[in-house]
Amino acid sequence: MLPRFDLLRPTTVAEAVGCLSEESVPYCGGTELLLAMRAGLYRPSALVDIKRVPELRGIRLRDGVLSIGAATSHRVVALDALVRGQLPMLATVEQGVGNARVRAQGSVGGNLCFAEPKSDLATALVAYEASVSLTSAGGTREVLVSELIQGAYFADKEPDELLVSIEIPLPGDHDAVYLKYQTMERPTVGVAVMNDRSGRRCRVVVGAVGEVPVVWEGTDPSEVVPDEIAELVDPVVDLTGSARYKRHVTAVYVRRALRALEGSHPS
Amino acid sequence: MSDVPRPLKIAGQSVRRRDLVEKVTGAAEYCVDVTMPGMLHAKVVRSDRAHARILEINTGEALAHRGVVAVVTAADLKPLFPRFGHIIADHWILASGKVRYYGEPVALVVAESLADATDAAELVRVDYDDLPAVLDAEEALAAGAALVHEESYPATADDSFKILAGGVHETDASVEDRPTNLAHEVTLEWGDVDQAFADAAVVVESQAGYPMLYAYAMEPYNAVASYGDGELRVVSTAQHPYMVREDLARVFGLPLAKVRVIAPYLGGGYGSKSYTKVEPLAALGSWVTRRPVKLVLDIEESIYTTRVDSAQVQVRSAFAADGTILARAFDIVMDSGAYADNSPLVLAKCVNRCFGPYRVPNLRVRGRSVYTNTAPASSYRGFGAPQGNLAGETNLDRAAEQLGIDPADIRRRNLVAKGESLLPGKRGMDAELVADLDMVVASLERDRRDEPGYGIGFGCAASDAGAFPVSTAQVRIQTDGSVTVLSGSTEMGQGSRSLLAQVAAEELGVDLDQVAVVQSDTAITPYERTTGASRTTTLVGLALQRACADARAKIRQMAAEVAGVSPESVADAPGGVELPDGSTAGFGDVVQRWFGGSAGEVTGIGLLRREGPTQEMPPFWEIGMVGVGVDVDLETGHVVVDQLVTVADVGFAVNPKAVEGQDLGAATQGLGAALYEELVYDGPQLVNANVVDYRVPRMGDLPRKIDLMLAERRDGVGPYGAKGAGEGTLNPIGGAVAAAVARAVGRWPTRLPLTPERVWRLANGIEEDD
Repeated sequence: MLPRFDLLRPTTVAEAVGCLSEESVPYCGGTELLLAMRAGLYRPSALVDIKRVPELRGIRLRDGVLSIGAATSHRVVALDALVRGQLPMLATVEQGVGNARVRAQGSVGGNLCFAEPKSDLATALVAYEASVSLTSAGGTREVLVSELIQGAYFADKEPDELLVSIEIPLPGDHDAVYLKYQTMERPTVGVAVMNDRSGRRCRVVVGAVGEVPVVWEGTDPSEVVPDEIAELVDPVVDLTGSARYKRHVTAVYVRRALRALEGSHPS
Repeated sequence: MSDVPRPLKIAGQSVRRRDLVEKVTGAAEYCVDVTMPGMLHAKVVRSDRAHARILEINTGEALAHRGVVAVVTAADLKPLFPRFGHIIADHWILASGKVRYYGEPVALVVAESLADATDAAELVRVDYDDLPAVLDAEEALAAGAALVHEESYPATADDSFKILAGGVHETDASVEDRPTNLAHEVTLEWGDVDQAFADAAVVVESQAGYPMLYAYAMEPYNAVASYGDGELRVVSTAQHPYMVREDLARVFGLPLAKVRVIAPYLGGGYGSKSYTKVEPLAALGSWVTRRPVKLVLDIEESIYTTRVDSAQVQVRSAFAADGTILARAFDIVMDSGAYADNSPLVLAKCVNRCFGPYRVPNLRVRGRSVYTNTAPASSYRGFGAPQGNLAGETNLDRAAEQLGIDPADIRRRNLVAKGESLLPGKRGMDAELVADLDMVVASLERDRRDEPGYGIGFGCAASDAGAFPVSTAQVRIQTDGSVTVLSGSTEMGQGSRSLLAQVAAEELGVDLDQVAVVQSDTAITPYERTTGASRTTTLVGLALQRACADARAKIRQMAAEVAGVSPESVADAPGGVELPDGSTAGFGDVVQRWFGGSAGEVTGIGLLRREGPTQEMPPFWEIGMVGVGVDVDLETGHVVVDQLVTVADVGFAVNPKAVEGQDLGAATQGLGAALYEELVYDGPQLVNANVVDYRVPRMGDLPRKIDLMLAERRDGVGPYGAKGAGEGTLNPIGGAVAAAVARAVGRWPTRLPLTPERVWRLANGIEEDD
């Protein structure tokens, strides 16, 4: 059962930021936080409910950057016309996060702040070179998602900071795919490939298999050697497999992702 | 009653479940919904080590916590009988002197609110002195191993265990002079096994590991108990309320009639709610505080309360060149955890069932149930059959491969015929196994694909149903002719409420909507031994038929009295009687006229014991006949089940849709153990005692093709020729999947579940530790 806590309900970002401390933490979808509290792993004295802060919701396109409010649910992102039109891979990823309840309830900001190593979203955002905007009483800073995710369940975010939005710079002429291998509740490995043809850049990001997403960068998908990427990952050994097996399926899924990328090539 | 079979009107129809709407809408009452006036809440303090002496339990801080009424420990058990267990009463209600597994109840905090009890439970300080622990069966059997139990416990007086376990040459070596970690040992032997092996054309040796499982009823164990005035009332998640009543009466020294156990709808049982679980804890809390106490476990606590016996089985079989079985030898070791519970019977049944429904002229089986410092194991759907069948069937499939014989043909050659003896002294086979197997193979072959990574497998099982024929039922005929059925059999999702209504409606000739069914309240509903071993249709069905016949006889007698004719001249009619003048009277008319006014009621009583059709054990053989086709992703080892084929050899399906549902459920549960499910210990503690990491089958895992067939040959002893259903289909699934995967990847697995990594390693010949 849930331990006792106070519930604070700010309506503006400024107000919300004023409520935050080591003991007083943001609460939105609760899909991770409440489980941790129920399991007795975490006992904040207050939850700051950010669901009533309008600034934290919605998806906007500004100056070639897609901005997603932190409190936006996975489901809303998955179904959003802008996302589907501009970043179809992200829409696909969000359509496949967790299960229907998690997608309806869980927020994108919460997903990143929790730094769950098996996050599909983080892997995809790293492929897009997305960043997040963190606000505290002292001001606002931008951090790349690849730097925000420091380790398993460890994000570079101070207790008095609020993740306000995710900022994704729109790539030009590009193809992107995300493929995941999932046999349990969470993925064993997730592979995002982002091929920015106009910029002559190709990124392969492998998530879920290690504590943090691993990034490979080059200029063209033809340079990717799946077995070499498999050597880059540092697998976490758990019930979904040994290190040897996880490296092996990493190579398999990088190969499959590259094949899917070829198949997704616009005519 | 004439001998001419009458056409059936309601039995045999796929009627809608009685509990459907209330369960779908959430209106159905489960135990967790039950409250009692002045109720307190309890939280269990559990051992955080595998094996340790308890030096001191400091309850002071917890007692000082807001809302706490009592902290109960083993010291409070002194005036009571402190243990439970229906075969070996070895299970301490609260750990006394030492703890035997991580998760064992050490104390019970009782408080005004669940929040208070939960918070205060963390304040109970237990000082331990660690003891060496035995964490698996191999360790436990090793020379000089630490003992889980230093003392041996006398067996309970219930001799039905022996009758249920019974193979004729069985020996029982459970109680030894010098204590060991052997909880129970069973051997079964006939013929000259050594000679047969010497004469064999081919000897095939194999081993099979069956995983440690959790039965995964959606509803965790919970109970609410009230003790007062020398009476105990308990509402709980018990499959067998009458068996729980016996344990509670012994613990508290109460007459059986003063202990009332009620089981509302169960949110799944699968054997895991057989026998006593949390009832003594809740009752103890109430006994100490003299207020009602509610105890609701969470999933992790439930997993640590009862799991499934894991098993390691070695098999050797001797064959003639044509595939005829000459001899089989099995060695079974089950890890039964810290307390025996029902594992001795699970073991005995595993011994009886491991060699399959085949003619085995020479047989030797040794089975051992071993105490370890892990969560206690007990009954699970299939009852020892899934563990044993996997080993036996895989061995047979490997023999077919070695002998170059089709795996269906080697089975056809060896399956026992109808009427033939499978276990000496037991009822002959009451099913046509070759015909069933032919149905499976034909369906499977129809959609078989010849592609790399595709394989089919099938398996056969026959279980000597552990259904001890003690059953009673009552029907109460009301003044309007409607009928109340009373049964001590529990509705746990299997559909007995609908089935019993169908039987009563059929027997009495009334509409289905005129029948109400009341179940599982030891103060109201008549005795039922258990709700297990797929017994309800057959045994409760027979008792209910007798209750209906008794009611009819009484009504005929009353009608004769009222009409002034001889009882023999009154005949049965649908929903009433026919008098000699050709007129008819409804049940209600007769009742009203006999009592006078619009009052009264007639009760029919049906009693069933070991005599007549149910003299021979088992009352029926529960058949399992399945086939699967699998697709293996050869790069990852991920297995997708493409086809599932089952035959329900049930004699007669009283509710065909319900039988199909039971078969699909049993098969799906079997697929869980075959492909996904396994409790994993890392040291003293489980690493996956939660719903996220303990992976059960999901909707998306369901096979692409599902062919659920019925074989209705009216060859059972139950009503209309029915036999039990609900477990059989689970039993051969593991072996069928193992064979299908082996044929897809080219190597034979030696353990379940066939997780992707295991299959990938198998396909590539990479050892597990490499």
